[in-house]
Amino acid sequence: MASTPSLAIFRASWRPLATGMMLIALLEAAKRFHLLPIFVPAPSEVVWEIWKTPRLVTANLVPTAWKAAAGYSIAATVAIAAASIAVSLRALYGPIYNISVTINSVPIIATAPLLALWLGTGTQVQIAIAALASQFPMLVGTMQGLQAADSRQRELMHVLSASRSQTLRYLLIPSALPYLFAGLKIAAPSAVLGTVTAEWAGADQGVGAMMLYALFSYDTPKVWLSVVLTCLLAGAGFGFWAAIEGVAVYWRHDVDLAD
Amino acid sequence: MVFYGSGEPVIALEKVDMRVPAGQFASIIGPSGCGKSTLLRLVADVTEPHAGTITLGGDTPRAARHAHSLGFVFQAPTLLPWRSVKQNIELPLDVVGRNSAKRSTRSGAELIELVGLTGFADALPHQLSGGMQQRVAIARALVLTPDILLLDEPFGALDEITRQRMNLELLRIWSESGATALLVTHSIAEAVFMSDQIYVMSARPGRITSIVDVPLERPRRLDMMRSPEFFDCVNRVRDGLFGHQQSQVATASEPVEAY
Repeated sequence: MASTPSLAIFRASWRPLATGMMLIALLEAAKRFHLLPIFVPAPSEVVWEIWKTPRLVTANLVPTAWKAAAGYSIAATVAIAAASIAVSLRALYGPIYNISVTINSVPIIATAPLLALWLGTGTQVQIAIAALASQFPMLVGTMQGLQAADSRQRELMHVLSASRSQTLRYLLIPSALPYLFAGLKIAAPSAVLGTVTAEWAGADQGVGAMMLYALFSYDTPKVWLSVVLTCLLAGAGFGFWAAIEGVAVYWRHDVDLAD
Repeated sequence: MVFYGSGEPVIALEKVDMRVPAGQFASIIGPSGCGKSTLLRLVADVTEPHAGTITLGGDTPRAARHAHSLGFVFQAPTLLPWRSVKQNIELPLDVVGRNSAKRSTRSGAELIELVGLTGFADALPHQLSGGMQQRVAIARALVLTPDILLLDEPFGALDEITRQRMNLELLRIWSESGATALLVTHSIAEAVFMSDQIYVMSARPGRITSIVDVPLERPRRLDMMRSPEFFDCVNRVRDGLFGHQQSQVATASEPVEAY
């Protein structure tokens, strides 16, 4: 039993933190002993980039973050609404599902320039692509979740002669939450990656633009810095929903098996 | 009642004619697949009969369900995992409204005490044992003073010790409520101990083969299970289930199952 929240956080995170530190230290040592190819910079060089130009980090991280968040919010709203319609109107289930699968199978790297021609190279393209890249897990999660209540529980609501809205409120929505949160968590990194890819198709600012400029000028520490920033942003999106899920889906419990 | 599966349609119930006087306790016993649960689900308006009628105190099952006169206890506890014990017991109140005339005079806390779960009001279902969860389900069926209490093998998953205690508890609660009870069970001894009449069913197609009246006085006590009348009823149910010849062999080779 964890006694305090901070202790619990420490217990959950010290292992991955220690592993990360070790890997960074190993990488640094390998670079110092010239064991790594020229295009892999030492971690210290990447950190030095941040130290040298902190403005560069914030000026590119902030636009990407808000564009990803905007696209993600649009995708969440549309996907959850579409999934709710699909589950309540059986005739639309197939079409909605198929459209979502198709959008998800389209290669973003090819559609980003095409969309840029259509919508212009402004932020709206990046937001649109973030939405397209992240909609699928949220749609599937909501669809699965709203059908997750088992037949006994449905019969219980039926015998109680509960109305449709009562069944939705007392049974269907709570049983959908674990699936919905799974979708929200998986979709968050997709929105970030979608934004970064879209920024390649033409953007003045953003982690993707920074990545592209650095690539063309052979500035490998800066390329790696943009990779790290993308990872951090994607991980932060995932962690945000994981934290909310921990509070909202309080009835989920882990089974403690003996070693 | 006919089920249509992948092969030939299966007649689940045929020629079922039963009449339970108001305020009495009736049991249905029979082999697996004889349609006992289907019969109970017909009474609860979960499924509709192919032919024939069901009347509950002059009403159709649907009218009784809409009037919230039915209490149903399933084989599995069927609790909502995100609701505490107290919230699960009060689920019917949330559906019907807290000020409903059907509301039991017993408070949530009194019902929790009645089923022996004092101190567990705020516990979540996964923190309880199977027997405790089933007791929550029974309390939930009583929160609206049902006119008809439908029990689908409610103690099937419990051990004998808990089961016997729950049987006594249920009889006490039932006699106080004045409801008409219909119990589906696999256990001959349980059927005899609980009921005024026992309907013995056979399988494929499911039909009632015999009716056994139990002359034991109420309230029932555990020492009645040693009385000749009790054994007589057990043997008559046994005859109904296995035929007279077979059950004589069975009773000769093994003792009568009485817990």
